[in-house]
Amino acid sequence: MAEITFDGVTKIFGDNIPAVDQLSLHVAEGEFMVLVGPSGCGKTTALRMLAGLEDITAGSLSIGGTVVNNVLPKDRDVAMVFQNYALYPHMTVAQNMGFALKIRGQSKGEVARKVGEAAAILRLTEYLDRRPKALSGGQRQRVAMGRAIVRSPQAFLMDEPLSNLDAQLRVEMRLEIARIQRLLGVATVYVTHDQIEAMTMGDRVAVMRGGRLQQCDTPQDLYDHPKNDFVAGFMGSPPMNLLRVGLETTDAGVALALGSQRLAIPASYATSHHLPRVDGPGVVFGVRPEDVEVRDGSSADSLTTRVERREALGAEILVHLSLVDVGGDNAIVVNDSGAVVARPTKLVAKMGPRSGVSVGDHLDVRLNPDHFHFFDADSGLSLRRGV
Amino acid sequence: MTTVLTPPTESGSHKEPPPLKPPPRRIGRWVLFGAMIVVAVIMLYPFFVMGVTSLKSESQFLSGGGFSWLSWSSLTSVIPVGQEVLSSTIVCSSSIFIILCVGLPAGFAFSKLRFRLSTVVFLVIVSAMMVPLQAILMPEFVNVTKLGLTGGYTGAILVYAALGTPFSVFLFTTYFRGVPDELIEAGIVDGLGYFGALWRLVLPIAVPAIATVTVLQFIQIWDDLLVGLLFIQNTSDRPITVGLAVLAAGRTTSIPELMAGSIISALPAMLVYLGFQRYLVKGLTMGIDR
Amino acid sequence: MSTTVTTTAAPVFAPKVRRMTLKRRRQFAGVVFALPAIALVVCFIGIPIGQAVYYSFTQWNGATSTWIGPSTWTQAFHNTNLWTALRNNGLLLLTVPFALALPLGIAVLLHQRVAGWRIFRSIYFLPTAISWVVLGLVAERFFAYQGTLNSIIHALGFSHVSTNMLGYQSEALIALGITFIFTMIGTNTMLFLTGLATLDPSLEEAARIDGAGRWRIFRSITLPHLSRFVQLAFVMTVIALFSALFSLIFVMTGGGPGYATTTMEFLIYETGFNQGDFGTAALYGLILFVITGIVGVVQLRLIGSNE
Repeated sequence: MAEITFDGVTKIFGDNIPAVDQLSLHVAEGEFMVLVGPSGCGKTTALRMLAGLEDITAGSLSIGGTVVNNVLPKDRDVAMVFQNYALYPHMTVAQNMGFALKIRGQSKGEVARKVGEAAAILRLTEYLDRRPKALSGGQRQRVAMGRAIVRSPQAFLMDEPLSNLDAQLRVEMRLEIARIQRLLGVATVYVTHDQIEAMTMGDRVAVMRGGRLQQCDTPQDLYDHPKNDFVAGFMGSPPMNLLRVGLETTDAGVALALGSQRLAIPASYATSHHLPRVDGPGVVFGVRPEDVEVRDGSSADSLTTRVERREALGAEILVHLSLVDVGGDNAIVVNDSGAVVARPTKLVAKMGPRSGVSVGDHLDVRLNPDHFHFFDADSGLSLRRGV
Repeated sequence: MTTVLTPPTESGSHKEPPPLKPPPRRIGRWVLFGAMIVVAVIMLYPFFVMGVTSLKSESQFLSGGGFSWLSWSSLTSVIPVGQEVLSSTIVCSSSIFIILCVGLPAGFAFSKLRFRLSTVVFLVIVSAMMVPLQAILMPEFVNVTKLGLTGGYTGAILVYAALGTPFSVFLFTTYFRGVPDELIEAGIVDGLGYFGALWRLVLPIAVPAIATVTVLQFIQIWDDLLVGLLFIQNTSDRPITVGLAVLAAGRTTSIPELMAGSIISALPAMLVYLGFQRYLVKGLTMGIDR
Repeated sequence: MSTTVTTTAAPVFAPKVRRMTLKRRRQFAGVVFALPAIALVVCFIGIPIGQAVYYSFTQWNGATSTWIGPSTWTQAFHNTNLWTALRNNGLLLLTVPFALALPLGIAVLLHQRVAGWRIFRSIYFLPTAISWVVLGLVAERFFAYQGTLNSIIHALGFSHVSTNMLGYQSEALIALGITFIFTMIGTNTMLFLTGLATLDPSLEEAARIDGAGRWRIFRSITLPHLSRFVQLAFVMTVIALFSALFSLIFVMTGGGPGYATTTMEFLIYETGFNQGDFGTAALYGLILFVITGIVGVVQLRLIGSNE
C-alpha cells in the first residue's frame, strides 16, 4: 500500500496539445480518489500514465515515494480494471484472477488460496471454472475486480469500470466497489465521467477539464464550494443554475439585476466574497436547483417567474422557469440591459413531488440566500475569499 | 471482431436470417429444388467421373462396359502413391508451420505494436499477395537452385512459405485489430513482457485465425503444381499432385489408374474442407465481411 | 511487497528503473516480431523482382548471363508467341462475366434456403477443395473424343456430330475457358453467399412493404448490397485467370495445339524451361507482374475502402 503523487505531470501526444497539463495531485494511502470530467479531459491519460502504459512527457510521478517515470508497468505493482474488463477469453475465471500471481512465480497453492479469498469477497466462488463468455456483465465486472484484488497491489487503477453495466447494476456495483476498497484499504484512483459515481464513491474527487485539474476536494466541499463555474456546472444533477448578471445598488443595498427584476444580495456576501464593483462587468451568479423555493406573494428577496416546462421524476419535480419581465405581461425572457445579461434568464428548480405547478403558472420563487455562488465573469473563478 | 469470428455460415451462435420471401407457391419451391439438383449434378460430376472410371480396367474403360478393382490393385505399382502422399504431407505441414510462425507475430506487431513505418511495411507485404509466382519464376528458380535447396523439400517449403506469408500476415493483422488493445495492456500490467504476451495471450486467442490460415494454405499447397514441379528435383520426392500431373501430361498412363490416383490425392483436401468449411469461408471473405 | 528481480529481500517498494520505456520496448518487439515475415518476403519475392528486371536485359540461360540492353524488350515484342499468349489471356477474360453470373445465380438459389440447402451448399463448394490438376484431368476426359461431351451429344440424338475441342486450335481455348468457369464457381458462390448473409433482412422487408416485387428487390437492394463482393470476386477471378491456369493447361493441353492455349504464365514456363531462354522468360514475367499489379492495385483499393 502506498501513496501516489503526481507532480506537474504533463502528457503531450503528437499534436503538441497537452492531453494532461501540469497535473499535481496527491493520493494518500488507502484513499479513494476519483478523477472526473467530460470525455477528452485527460483523466484516462492520467490513469494510463500512472499504470505505466503511457510515457510521461514532463513532471514526476511517484508511488510510495519512489519516482516511477521510468518504471515498467509490471514493476510498478499496480492493478488496473479496464472499462471493457479486458478479461482473457481463453482462461477460466480462476485463471484470469491468478494470472498475475502465476507470472510472478507464486506457487500453485498460494495462487489458489488468494484466488479463493478474492472470489469469496466478490461472491464469485461458484463461477471460478467458467470462461468469461459464460458470465453476465456484472459477473465479468467482478472478475475484473478480482484480478486486481488478488495481487494486493500498491494501488488500484480503475478506468470507468461501471460504464458498461446497466443502470441498476451500476448502482449496486458502486456500493460494492466502495465497500471492497474500504475493506482492503488500498489507494485507488478511479476514473469516471459520471458525477454521481464521483460524488458517491470518492473520498476526494478531482475534477478535470481540457487536461487541467480544476479542483480536488471532498465531494461535499466540491458541491458546496466549487472553485469555478465549470465545477459548479459539472457536479450536481441537475446542474447549478448559472446566470450572467449585473450588480446594482438599490435602497436595500447591492442587488442582482435579473432583467427588470432586482434580487437583493445579503450584506454578508460583501465580506465573504470579492464582489465586483456595481455597474461593472457583472458576475456569474449561481444557485442550485434545490435552493430555489416557491413563495406566496412577491417580496424583495423573491423573483417572479413563469413555468415553462415540468419534468416529473417521481421523487421530485424539475421545474424550468423563466423570469417574467415585471413591467410586461407575458414576456418570456427578459433580456438586454446593456451587454451584461448574456444568457436568457432561466432557472431550474427542484420541487417536491406534490407541488401542484403546471406549465404557464406564474410563480414567485425565493432563492435561498445562504447558498449563493459568485464567479468572475471572465475567468469563471469563484469570488469567495480565502479560496 | 465478432463478424470475423462468427461468419454467417455455420457457427451455432449466429442465427440464420429468416427466409427472404414469404412462403412461396408450392410449384415455385419445386422448380427451385429442381434447379438445385441440376447444379448439384454438375458440381458432383468430377467425383462421379473419378469414381466410376477408377473402377474399370484399361480395356473396360476403352470399351465402356464392366467394373473391376484392377486399377486400384495395380495403382501403387504405377504411381508411388504412398511416397507421394508422404511428400505432400511433409511439404504442406512444414510450409504451414513456417507461415504460422512468421505470420502470427508479424500480425501482432502490425496491429498492436506499431513501430516506425510499420504501416508502410505492412502495405508492402500485403501487396506481395498480388505477385504471382510466374512473374518471378526464373530468378526464384535460379536462386533456389544455386543455394542447393532443390535437392530435398527445403526449396519448395521455403517458396511455399514465402508465397503464403503475405496472406497470413494480412489475415492475422485483420484478426488482431478486432482484439481490444486493453487485453494486451492488461497482460502488461499483470506482468507480461511483449514476448510473454505473444506466447501466453496472443497465441491462444488467435486459434480461429490459425485454423483459417492452416485450412486455406493446406488446400492451396496440397493442390499446387508449379512449385512442386520445379523446386523438387528428385522424382522420388514428388508430391502427389505433381506426380499425377506429370503422368497425365505424359499421356501414357492408363486413365483409370490416373483417376484412382486423383481420388487419393483429392481425399485429404476434401476431408479438410468438409471438416473446416467455415474457416475457409472466413478466410476468403476476410476484410470484406462485417 | 517487492517486485524487484535483483533484490528479492528488499522489504520496501523499490521498483526497478529501466532505461527502455514501455513505448520503446513495444516498438522493439514490433520490429523483432515483424522481421521474419519481412525477411521471407524480401528474400523470396522482393529480391527476385529486382533480379527479373536485371535479367530481362540479358541473354540468360540460368547459369551465365550477358548484358544485352533494352533491345531484349523490342525483340520480345516482336515475338508472335507473346502476342498469342496475350491474345489468349484477353479472350479468356470473356469468361469472367460467366464466372461471376453463374455463381451469383447459384448463391441466390442457395439463399432461398429450401429444404436441404446446407447439403447443397457443401456439394457446390466441394470441387473447390480439389486440385486444378485433378479438375483438369476430369475436364480432359470430358472434352476428349471419347469423352462425356460427345456421349451427351449422341444421347441427344445428334449421333453424326462429334467434337474434339482440345484437338483443334480454334476450340481448345473455349474448352479451357469452360473449365475455368467451372473451377471458379465454388469460390465465387461462397463469396456471394457470404455477401447475401450479411444483407439485413429488414431492408428487403421494408421494400416489400413498399410494394416492390421480387425482381425489383433483387435489383434495387440485393445487387447494390453485393457490389463490394462482386468487385472482390471480379478481381480474384481475373488474378486467377492470369496466374492459376497453369495446372489446367499443363494437364489438359500442354499449351497446344500449337500455342492455342498458351497463356502468359504458361509461356513463361515454356520459354524458360522448354526453350532454356531464361532472360526472355524473366522479361515475360515482368509483363505479367505489371498486369497483375494493375489488378492488384484495384483490389487494395477495395480492401482499403472497407477499413
